[in-house]
Amino acid sequence: MPKSKAVRREKPRERFSYDPTKVLTRLEEYGKKILEDIKAGKNPYFDIPMRGIGNVYFDEKRRVIRMGDKLSRRYFLNVAHARKFMQTLLIMAYVKRLVSENKHASLREAYYANKHTIPGTKENTFEDQRESDPIIEDLERMMGVLREEMHLTADRRGYIYGDIVIRDGEDEFNTSKLGMGGWAVPGTVEHLQFVEVNVDYALVVETAAMADRLIEEKFPKKENALIIATQGQASRGVRRLIHRLHYEEGLPIIVFTDGDPYGWYIYSTIKQGSINLAYLSDKLATPEAKFVGMTMDDIERYGLKNVTEKLKGIPPNKKGGPTADYKRILEEMEYPWFQNKEWQRQLKMAIKMGVRIEQQALANKSLEFVAKKYLPEKINNGELLP
Amino acid sequence: MAEANQLFKEFKIQSVSEFFRRNAAMLGYTGKIRSLTTVIHEAVTNSLDACEEAGILPYVRVEIEELGREHYKVIIEDNGPGIPEKYITHVFGKMLAGTKAHRNIQSRGQQGIGISGAVMFAQITSGKATRVITSTGDDKIIEAWVKIDVDRNEGKIVKKEKHPNPKGWRGTRIELEVKNVRYVRSKQGVYWYLKLTAIANPHAHIELIEPDGRLIVFPRSSEDVPEPPVEMKPHPRGVLTDDVYRMAKKTRRSSVKRFLVGEFSRISDKKIDELVEYIAALRLIKTEDDKNVQEQLYERLMKGEVKAVLRSFRGYTKVVKQVAKLMEKPPEKLSWHEAEEIVEAFKYMKFLAPPTHGLRPIGEENIEKGLTNILKPEFVTAVTRSPKVYSGGIPFQVEVGLAYGGEIPGGFELLRYANRVPLLFDAGSCVTTLAARSVDWRRYKVDDLDRAPLVLMINVISVHVPYTGTGKQSIANVEEIQNEIRLAIMDAARRLQTYLSGKHRRLHQAKRRRTFEKYVPEIARALSVLTGEPEEEVKNYFLSYIEGHFAAKEAGGAEEVSENA
Repeated sequence: MPKSKAVRREKPRERFSYDPTKVLTRLEEYGKKILEDIKAGKNPYFDIPMRGIGNVYFDEKRRVIRMGDKLSRRYFLNVAHARKFMQTLLIMAYVKRLVSENKHASLREAYYANKHTIPGTKENTFEDQRESDPIIEDLERMMGVLREEMHLTADRRGYIYGDIVIRDGEDEFNTSKLGMGGWAVPGTVEHLQFVEVNVDYALVVETAAMADRLIEEKFPKKENALIIATQGQASRGVRRLIHRLHYEEGLPIIVFTDGDPYGWYIYSTIKQGSINLAYLSDKLATPEAKFVGMTMDDIERYGLKNVTEKLKGIPPNKKGGPTADYKRILEEMEYPWFQNKEWQRQLKMAIKMGVRIEQQALANKSLEFVAKKYLPEKINNGELLP
Repeated sequence: MAEANQLFKEFKIQSVSEFFRRNAAMLGYTGKIRSLTTVIHEAVTNSLDACEEAGILPYVRVEIEELGREHYKVIIEDNGPGIPEKYITHVFGKMLAGTKAHRNIQSRGQQGIGISGAVMFAQITSGKATRVITSTGDDKIIEAWVKIDVDRNEGKIVKKEKHPNPKGWRGTRIELEVKNVRYVRSKQGVYWYLKLTAIANPHAHIELIEPDGRLIVFPRSSEDVPEPPVEMKPHPRGVLTDDVYRMAKKTRRSSVKRFLVGEFSRISDKKIDELVEYIAALRLIKTEDDKNVQEQLYERLMKGEVKAVLRSFRGYTKVVKQVAKLMEKPPEKLSWHEAEEIVEAFKYMKFLAPPTHGLRPIGEENIEKGLTNILKPEFVTAVTRSPKVYSGGIPFQVEVGLAYGGEIPGGFELLRYANRVPLLFDAGSCVTTLAARSVDWRRYKVDDLDRAPLVLMINVISVHVPYTGTGKQSIANVEEIQNEIRLAIMDAARRLQTYLSGKHRRLHQAKRRRTFEKYVPEIARALSVLTGEPEEEVKNYFLSYIEGHFAAKEAGGAEEVSENA
């Protein structure tokens, strides 16, 4: 039975939708178009949505960062483009083989698999992984499919713990029955299916240490919550998992980070997406996520003044400032999604007090404090930031 | 104070050999390497000059045999006109004798000291006579051993033999034995000298046998014997008092007037009348006491206001008549002072520029042939400027050749010539070097001159090349000459620039094309995986597309060129 009044599971809005044939069809369409161009004596090209800050905007209505419609055209017959044109096709052919054979490769494997010396030259098709990674991102943008859908995965980071049952291929398991470490989130989560979800909400935790603490205190069981440890900035796998749990299972998402600019940025990425992956916001961002802490108010409220740390850098009113943390906070204050009273107040307060506070600082009270008092109190009272 | 008798105890008349020993540097005999080059130079220039005058295509063979440490036998053989028996002693034995020294004519050598200097050098280093074998192509071959009587400055034939000449051989072969010299393949050695000579004389076939037996051939690339230079009368602006004085003593003309009109260029009867007025004016000006007035009069004279200057003196007609009388006297009676007056007047007078028909440039076509033949470059061009005048009256002409790339190694090379004779020494102070360095080569697409595979040859032609010293290896920095050289270089460099930009464009296109072509196999394989189309076919689509694109570009490029042309 859910204890919480403020946090309640909602009805699902998206359905599980992974379909490998979609990727294959797209790849063939592009290949055919190139072939038709060259047969017709036209300079073949790819239209690739431009990356970078110039081509992203904040969608006020859906409250996510989205990619604009600026395209860059990559021609074959252009000295500056030819190499990348060739690389794009190489990766496309590779993806086609991966998906049709139902194999997955890491970004590094994809790099090595396609790297070779071009016959008759001293040039390699790829000289560095820094050449192949952007091509893969280009393909995501161009075809509107996730890297994970192309069976290309990044290193895994983050884990989950809680009473949910997941089907991963032929395996089916409850993530609260895998020991204290929970279940590590893989690079790609597209193919996962949620068989049973017996939790009321998901608590996204920045540090592994805090997640471990909560598991030890049996917080997931007592509060009927799923713990998702991001281990710093959330990986794509974790963000996609959060997105899917929210939209496919209706789980409310509550984010618990350090009270500092980096922690708030982690929250912002989960919620609105990032500039770099703006084209994936529809699949990665969860604008309905809420923030539980740490907040600047917590310092006063729970008497944590003596466990704060000074912000790094020079404050804005001092000579040479603002720098480092101060600068970062001021930048965050400009984000459209932080344009509300509560967040502006928090950020201003941080600058004024000149301090930051870590999740672990709560251990100053007692080891059980965070699990028994801090989190249940704030979450059940709905004391969350938007 | 020492007695004069005491002082004169040491007085001795210096013998020619003594002079020669002390002044060897003046004649080019300094240093073991250079001395050998000088010997060869004297013989080879004689051969080339002689062939040219006789209208023969020269064949010159140089052989150097090592006899011991710094001890060589040098053999130079040509197919020239040969030397008549009675002139052998004069040619080889007497210094300052020759067929050209007394004539105003462009030639490779100038003072006629050359080959006799070499004979002398051989004699004083090895003690051996020079062996001369020559025939004018008649029924006999003369073989003579020549020495120089150093005290009397006279040639002496030590031994002479006559041989029959059944095959009608014609030419001259001389053998000199020299010590204190060294054969080295350096930029100042014989090899380099002959190579440079071959470049400037494409009509000559030159062979060299080095001491180690190696035969090097610089073959002929032109069949045209250059026209022999013609004698030119001196221009009044280029003569000294001594020239006029001595010429007057020697002339067979009846009067000073006839002598001046007959033996100088650009002097007519009318000019003599003018000259009379100028001399008279100068005499009168010298009588003026007021220095300021004198200065003013000189200035007006310089402006050509000779009549006005004369009129400003009372009784000037008397002086004019006196001077006019001078013109009628026999030239051998001309005094030094009078000669001085004539030369001074020349300085104030205006004359037509000197005739230039005596200058014999190599010619653009022959320079190109010479450079191509010897250096095997990928690009060559030459510029022969029209004759100009320096110091008011000495005609000269400049020509340059530029060779680029091909077998030319990197590093700028300047080949200097005066009247076709290679200059190997004192490059630093030479006007040719200064002019070449003063050009901004980057403007002509030569970005790094010191690394460019570029050879620049410069030939300065004149009856009187203004050398910086007696070594005759460096041309003085005369402004008019430097300007002409610069203009010639820039003209040639512009053609090089046109060539290089065309080449760069073609290279650039080929490189671009290669950029695309190299990716085609990769692209074809990938597209074949994506579409199922056979790899080979995809490849051909791409290759023919590239082909078409560059063919169109080429056509476009050609149009551009024709528009410019």
